Amino acid sequence: MTVAHRGAASLVMLAAALACRGDGGRQGAIDSVGGPAVTVRGARIAAPRSGPAGEWEMPAGDYANSRYSELNEITAENAHNLKVSWAFSTGTLRGHEGQPLVIDSTMYVVTPYPNVAYAFDLSQEGQPLKWKFRPANSQAAIGQACCDVVNRGAAFADGKLFYNLLEGSTVAVDVRDGKQVWRTRVASLDRGETITMAPIVVKNLVLVGNSGGELGVRGWIAALDTRTGKEVWRAYSAGPDRDVKVGPRFKPFYAHDRGKDLGVTTWPADAWKTGAGAVWGWLSYDPELNLVYHGTSNPGPWNAEQRPGDNKWTCAILARDADTGELVWAFQVTPHDMWDYDAVNENILVDLPIGGTTRKVLVHFDRNGFAYVLDRATGEALMAHPYVPMNWSTGVDLTTGRPKVVPEKATAQGKKITNICPSLEGGKNQQPAAFSPKTGLFYVPTINLCMDFEARPATYIAGTPYIGASAPEYAGPDGYRGEFMAFDVTTGRKAWGIREPYPVWGGALVTAGDVAFYGTLDGWFKAVDARTGKLLWRFKLGSGVVGNPITYLGPDGTQYVAIYSGLGGDMGVLIAGDVSANVPHDVRVRGTTLPDIGRWTSWGGVLFVFSL
Amino acid sequence: MVRTWYLLACLTVAGIGVAARDVDAGRQAPMQTAADTLRFVEHGDYIAVGLPSRARPLSLTNPVEGDRRAIATGARIFVAYNCVDCHGADGSGAMGPSFQDGRWRFGGTPPEVFESIYQGRPEGMPAWGGRISEEQIWMLVAYVRSLSAGDITTENFTGIAQERMGH
Repeated sequence: MTVAHRGAASLVMLAAALACRGDGGRQGAIDSVGGPAVTVRGARIAAPRSGPAGEWEMPAGDYANSRYSELNEITAENAHNLKVSWAFSTGTLRGHEGQPLVIDSTMYVVTPYPNVAYAFDLSQEGQPLKWKFRPANSQAAIGQACCDVVNRGAAFADGKLFYNLLEGSTVAVDVRDGKQVWRTRVASLDRGETITMAPIVVKNLVLVGNSGGELGVRGWIAALDTRTGKEVWRAYSAGPDRDVKVGPRFKPFYAHDRGKDLGVTTWPADAWKTGAGAVWGWLSYDPELNLVYHGTSNPGPWNAEQRPGDNKWTCAILARDADTGELVWAFQVTPHDMWDYDAVNENILVDLPIGGTTRKVLVHFDRNGFAYVLDRATGEALMAHPYVPMNWSTGVDLTTGRPKVVPEKATAQGKKITNICPSLEGGKNQQPAAFSPKTGLFYVPTINLCMDFEARPATYIAGTPYIGASAPEYAGPDGYRGEFMAFDVTTGRKAWGIREPYPVWGGALVTAGDVAFYGTLDGWFKAVDARTGKLLWRFKLGSGVVGNPITYLGPDGTQYVAIYSGLGGDMGVLIAGDVSANVPHDVRVRGTTLPDIGRWTSWGGVLFVFSL
Repeated sequence: MVRTWYLLACLTVAGIGVAARDVDAGRQAPMQTAADTLRFVEHGDYIAVGLPSRARPLSLTNPVEGDRRAIATGARIFVAYNCVDCHGADGSGAMGPSFQDGRWRFGGTPPEVFESIYQGRPEGMPAWGGRISEEQIWMLVAYVRSLSAGDITTENFTGIAQERMGH
């Protein structure tokens, strides 16, 4: 499509989208509800949830990252009766990513920078605070965070709350009194590293990873002793085998992934030192295999011509021994990435019926638009179906695990490649999907954006961005910018989808009551029927949603659903300010990416809790 | 009658003005005529939010202010030193603040912008002084100031640092 054609087409689509809006603007939003309810039988979450069903004790609900709850007081039949139970302003603005925890009648909230932690006494009317923890947190981190000063939540174990500070430290807070137990500096702001990710605790270790894929950092994941905060191991995403922790246990499934020091040899000299592969996404854990699964970010810089080679192990899914960090297997999702398709999205551990047998797999909705199903013991790619419109690849060759790249969509220095789908934000970004063992479906908050991409030489200056590209984004095919969908990975087909005017940047929750919850950038919090996608209920929150819903049982035995409102994150940074850029030399262009968002929301920061 | 009353009032005001200054000077000043002492009591200079409480910024002048070639070179430096990736193309704002919205957290005059680039600023602006030449900094100043549209149109503007960061 020529630029002119696309411009005209966009106008037509925009006109159509506007025409489709009914009263109030959003009632007429394009909905697409599929046919009869799809159920994938025999699908189950890999590991049983460790705590009581009424608690939410780790970021993704369980180690498998299912974000599924057994609670069923709220059902598809009665969800229309949901109402606000209570709310709390966090006292901060900017992107409220992440989710609260609820353990032992106490709710724990971590805010965006400055990363205040709150503990609410749920047993008392008005949910008064037990304590509040406001850590020292270097202001300089604000200017090093690529994608807003977000925090994706805390972990809990042994009476301590563990979470990361944007400035690159991990803290442990005693939940009895909100006093700091220990604090460890794990990342270097001088080198452009910050931390936004939610840790998990495995046995006596807190696992944390860095951010900074856009600042030429060295990506890593580290384990700290829960009692002392002392670093027990650290594994890098690139570099010599010793640093990446490649040893005798390393058994990659594919031949091209075997060899010595691939974290060096698949790069030009020394480029791996500023090659990113940051570990800023979600962590999952299989207690049976004792493996931690995590993804790695894009390589740095975005200008791929500065780093010929596969650039291992960026844009990869890595399986590491939880006790030692040793790399057990690795699967590089997008070798020699040319589009900023980080592979940090969550790996949901499920047992799925595939080809007549039940396979122990992980399911990963990647930025690059493919829904990967990998054998979680070996890293073999079993399936990879597209889940969003895409045109940069014709498919994944399962005999090699590598995507087949469309030559016209390969980005290059000094050349403007147009209409690459999905955009660098991906088919899905940090917002996590959920899985229901009742339906066997995945509930996926997706993005429908495409981009132009023009690379240029980038200079590495420590602590500043190391990018070397402009990539303005705009709506994908059909003009909608997001879709919340129920996806059957075994067939690669969408069961149903709800189109949204904006990318769905908040995460999913699904329950045994067959209700799926999600929030939108323009501020709606919705409950939909997990089987059919029918809208059951919605409420307009104080600000757009970029966080993830949780559900818990209150001390009164009532089921509650909690969600943050507070626009921000990568999308929120886009709309900060109200001026559009006119020159093509921009990382992200306003206006065409999120038109009109300012009419529906501004910045905010309020926790909302709902019940019947 | 009115004129006399008016003259008395002015003298009273003048007297107050004189007295106020006398308090500062700590001595009795000679009675002055209404003509040259008719003025209001002076207040201290307005101290802008966000600036350190000291006297005026250094009186530097930009040798290339408004110079088209300098601005064009400044635009290239803006890219070469990665400014564009924090502040957005055309200074539209991204990780770092916008230069287009007419709001300057640390002042928008040439010496103030020079200082911000030279010294760095607390929320992540690197200190470029001593790392790049002052000529280059002045060209950046000229370029960055040329981006400001001068009008403020944001709907949720509640104050400089508060609006952007909420704390």
